[in-house]
Amino acid sequence: MAVAQDTILTSTRLAGISETVVHFGRTIGLPAGFAVFSVIAWELLCRITHISPELLPAPSAVWDVLSGNPRILIEQALPTTIEIVVSFAIATTIGVLLATGICSSAAIREAIYPNIVMFQVIPKIALAPLFIVWLGVGGKSIVTVGVFIAFFPMVVSTATGLVSAKPDVLQLCRSLTASEWQSFLLVRFPYAMPYIFAGMKVGVTMAMIGVIVGEFITAQAGLGYIIMFASSAGETATVLAAIVVLCGIGLVLYGLVGAGELLVQRWFGGELPAGGVI
Amino acid sequence: MAVDTIASRAGTVLAPIGAVTPPTLRQLRPMILPVAAAGAVLAIWQMACVLAHIPPVILPPPSQIAAEFWRILPVLLHQAVPTTLDSLTAFALACALGIVLAMAITYSPLARDMLFPNLVLFQIIPKVALAPLFVVWLGISSESRVAFSAFTCFFPVVISAVVGFASADTSTLRLCKSLTASDWQSFLLVRFPYALPAIFSGMKIAMTMAVIGVIIGEFISAKAGLGFYILYASSRMDTAAIFAALFVLCMIGVTLFGAVALAERYVRQHYGRR
Repeated sequence: MAVAQDTILTSTRLAGISETVVHFGRTIGLPAGFAVFSVIAWELLCRITHISPELLPAPSAVWDVLSGNPRILIEQALPTTIEIVVSFAIATTIGVLLATGICSSAAIREAIYPNIVMFQVIPKIALAPLFIVWLGVGGKSIVTVGVFIAFFPMVVSTATGLVSAKPDVLQLCRSLTASEWQSFLLVRFPYAMPYIFAGMKVGVTMAMIGVIVGEFITAQAGLGYIIMFASSAGETATVLAAIVVLCGIGLVLYGLVGAGELLVQRWFGGELPAGGVI
Repeated sequence: MAVDTIASRAGTVLAPIGAVTPPTLRQLRPMILPVAAAGAVLAIWQMACVLAHIPPVILPPPSQIAAEFWRILPVLLHQAVPTTLDSLTAFALACALGIVLAMAITYSPLARDMLFPNLVLFQIIPKVALAPLFVVWLGISSESRVAFSAFTCFFPVVISAVVGFASADTSTLRLCKSLTASDWQSFLLVRFPYALPAIFSGMKIAMTMAVIGVIIGEFISAKAGLGFYILYASSRMDTAAIFAALFVLCMIGVTLFGAVALAERYVRQHYGRR
């Protein structure tokens, strides 16, 4: 009897494992397989139709550039990465602080928030040349463009998060004579965390866009500069290699924000049963 | 208590008949406060420029920008035409392609599993970096800018449309099936209306991104357009002209976004009535 139950248990467990394998294969294997298939099709297309490499280099040619001179690419990736990280950090700090200030009073929020939402809509990238007039050619203006673009989604989503705390919980805090600051730190802020991270995910991609556009317009170094320089020289393989490196940087930074979100969620989850207080 | 609620209900029903009272200050507050804040910023800007003697090359006062705006308005409007047309074309292309691809993804699980993770990945990577490649492929004409811009704003449309199509009520879909509705009918009458809010939120993102894409394209390669004009003015250190062009660009951005928002309201009303 017990043995029979045991075998049933193991078999269901085995079935569960094979199911997860199939699930894993489908969710990871299929998209990855499609990506690999596309790259192979691209390679074959280039070899068979003899497209000029200036127009569309084969993936193998891009790989040759990547493996042939990794030092130059890494050297150029360094300033770009630093500029992205710095502008993202500044945008996040200012954005969260400003959102906190905005949410401190209803009148301030009503006065400023619609203007910020309006700024979300307008094409801010057009201001890039203005920063060059103000700050000159170089890293400072590039970082400023990045900050300026990444800043608005940060403010908007943080402000949305700060007002999304459950009124019941806030009322409870008040009835327990918590100070404004305490209820901000212990209730409003944890409730805003998912929104802040959503804003940070948009912000990190926006900071990348800002920095790259900044480097397009004005730079003597960086991957954006390499892309512009190589494309005007007709070295399309180099352009694609630089783009591959950029995509790598983008994915790593996005992944770091995602990992930070998990970490903070777990931390706050231990301190405060999120969503389950009342 | 019950009488009270009835009376108040009657009051709310009856009130609109004789009430064409002008809106009170409290009701206008959400309008007045933001405009006042914007006005205050402009006033401080003007005063700072005049009092601190900031050179106009660095930061011209709003009054000078306004004067410059009126002076070069014909030029700006002339330059605004290609930018607006390119943005609209790119937006339309991205929406059409995006919704068709989203339909394919919705109806084929294989296509969804294969394509959707890759699309989400593309959403994250900095597609801006590809702008110079479009110039290599399509030249410096407006096709390259439209193609690049459509490429950047295509992804939000697909992703939000897929999410929207998946959000249709399953019991309603089952009801359609049991009433022998065709796949096309249940798509048109159930899935599509359910997906509208998500599709429009994707379209709003796409509209702003379309303008951004065209501007970046004009920065890199153009002989006309507001992006070109801004770069040209900045190379002449004509800061007031940059601001004037930026103002026109902001107007275009807000108008196009507003048009999408209006279309959303209209379409939702249309579907709400049926």
